[in-house]
Amino acid sequence: MSISTSPRVRSAAPALGYLAGIRTVFGLEIRQRIRNRGWYIMLGIWFVVVAAVVGLAALSVGEDGFGAGQVMFELVIAFVLFFGMLIAPALSANSITGDRANGTLAILQNTLLTPGQLLWGKWLASWVASLGFLVVTIPLIGWAMTYGDVYLPAAPVLLAMLAVELGIVCAIGVGVSALANRTLFAVMVTYLLVALLGLGTLISYGLSMQLVKTDVNVSNQVWPETYMNGDFPGDWDENNYTCEDRTYVQETFATERITWLLAANPFVVVADAAPRSPAPEDSSMFAEAGPMGAISEGVRYSQAGPEFQIPCLNGVKNTALPPTPAPLWPLGLGIQVLLAGGIVAAGRNRLRTPAGKLAAGTRIA
Amino acid sequence: MESAVTVPGRAPGQRQDLGSGITATGLARSFGAVRAVENIDFHAAPGKVTALIGPNGSGKTTLLLMLASLLRPDAGSIRIQGIDPTADPRAVRAVLGWMPDTLGFWESLTSREILTTVAALYGIGKAQARVRAAELLEVVNLGELADTPARVLSRGQAQRLSLARALVNDPSVLLLDEPASGLDPGARVQLRTLVRQLADSGKTVVISSHVLVELDEIADAAVFLSRGKTVRSQSLAEAGAQSRGYTIASLDLEMLRVALAEANFEAAYRGNLENGGGSAKLKLTGEVQAGELLGRLAGAGVPVTAFAPTSGLLEETYLSLEDEMP
Repeated sequence: MSISTSPRVRSAAPALGYLAGIRTVFGLEIRQRIRNRGWYIMLGIWFVVVAAVVGLAALSVGEDGFGAGQVMFELVIAFVLFFGMLIAPALSANSITGDRANGTLAILQNTLLTPGQLLWGKWLASWVASLGFLVVTIPLIGWAMTYGDVYLPAAPVLLAMLAVELGIVCAIGVGVSALANRTLFAVMVTYLLVALLGLGTLISYGLSMQLVKTDVNVSNQVWPETYMNGDFPGDWDENNYTCEDRTYVQETFATERITWLLAANPFVVVADAAPRSPAPEDSSMFAEAGPMGAISEGVRYSQAGPEFQIPCLNGVKNTALPPTPAPLWPLGLGIQVLLAGGIVAAGRNRLRTPAGKLAAGTRIA
Repeated sequence: MESAVTVPGRAPGQRQDLGSGITATGLARSFGAVRAVENIDFHAAPGKVTALIGPNGSGKTTLLLMLASLLRPDAGSIRIQGIDPTADPRAVRAVLGWMPDTLGFWESLTSREILTTVAALYGIGKAQARVRAAELLEVVNLGELADTPARVLSRGQAQRLSLARALVNDPSVLLLDEPASGLDPGARVQLRTLVRQLADSGKTVVISSHVLVELDEIADAAVFLSRGKTVRSQSLAEAGAQSRGYTIASLDLEMLRVALAEANFEAAYRGNLENGGGSAKLKLTGEVQAGELLGRLAGAGVPVTAFAPTSGLLEETYLSLEDEMP
């Protein structure tokens, strides 16, 4: 038996292609994940939970048949996003701390692999693993599609943005994992960062309300007499009103100045990126929207500010429709990419060998 | 591992390009307030097995991590086959095989997959990686367990897999951190044979171990560390020349005592309780003197049943160093 390769190999310059290295790490990670039975159990529980929620939505919304599909579809998106935020940190934040604990990280570092290749491979693997949770909901999305009222141009955008958001959470997780020494710590920090995006944006928006408090002069709306009858037969026109002359001061919030605080919220990014379904021609019907549509609507209302929210401003009837606001999601996505990129870059620094500074209590191998 | 004697593709006795082995001078490294390595000079020659010996916490593993290009020394310089690992770690890793003291494996992968994955990370092509993995699994006697997940391997088996992993890139410099721990006696003999072969084929081999008797048999040179410093570097030939303790056992302690006294040796005697036999412990200046003394005792008709060094060569040095320490 040989204990060395042929001399031909020895003379060849050692080389590991950048993509080949990433592919090997990716394969290594994915193989370990798919051999883990817990992973399949999690997928199964996941499917049952989402199916139950979507089924209940179908029961309650679908009485008259119309609108149920859109609501169900958006529910699936919202749920995958919500639970993805919970699952993706757990899937990604152990990827490097786990190797540290097992003593396999040093083995990888002692090959021709660079820290960058290691991080790319780990990130891709955890992203693909979390996309698995989106893939198992495909039957439920298909079910929603059978209702025929899903606004089709928005569907691929919602799905793509959802995948991007999962990728960002995974990048944060892998980056934190490269920085941390213990898996538990890495998972917790990742959860906190995800919470910062998901809840922190909402809290800062809410608290900032006080800073943009303004006083405006408003007056009461006066509706035509006929509208006051209980059995008004005609079409209701919400712009058919006049304003009283007597104005009074009302406290309101210039939300258009603080809406950007919501930008980095994953739900806002996904909802804001999707094109909106056009208003139905029959004005008595309004477009049925699920949770994502509602978020998108809310953000635009907040972007418009009091100028477009108050029907009688300074005693003047105000029916101006807000201009289509600038999309908020590029800002949000930019903030998220910067955050994730910064953490991953710091993690890459930490993975460089030969290692200079080490945190107290660290063993390399 | 016995089957690993021949090296195809290389005529018997033909050696690899030797290179310059490992040279490290003035190494220092601390972790916070702990000065793990204070001042280490280390040289390991190609084609030789160099033993790294020292008590727990003397800096052996830290030194090996620095040599393996994973840890940056605070001071001092390292050359592995002439390459500086802090300046060009990738070039060093291409020629280096490192077997860590902690066993780490991807537990759900099989032994074969682990070896082919590591091979891929050295840029070895798929087909070649498969051949290489099969070869190495035979070399370390894991052929039967090649396709079982690594988590079922026993400690000794995992140790052998770890050695195979260190050999994947056919390194010219091999660093083995406690390779024999957890191995059964048979596997230890095999490991010794393999390490000898690897060194004979021109590789630079560094072994750290606590089992000094074992190192006696494979090491060509030894470097002793204590509290992060090199306290002695010697070849085994030098160790053989130094004065060391011998134990002589005889069926007749009184005759032995008389014979040793005549030859002017001071010795500590211990008699057996059940008969007149017993043993003597004494210091001899070297192997030549030992040979002469044995001849003399035999000539005087002393019934000698055992005549041997009290401890192994390296152990002797190790213990003498401990005596010197404050």
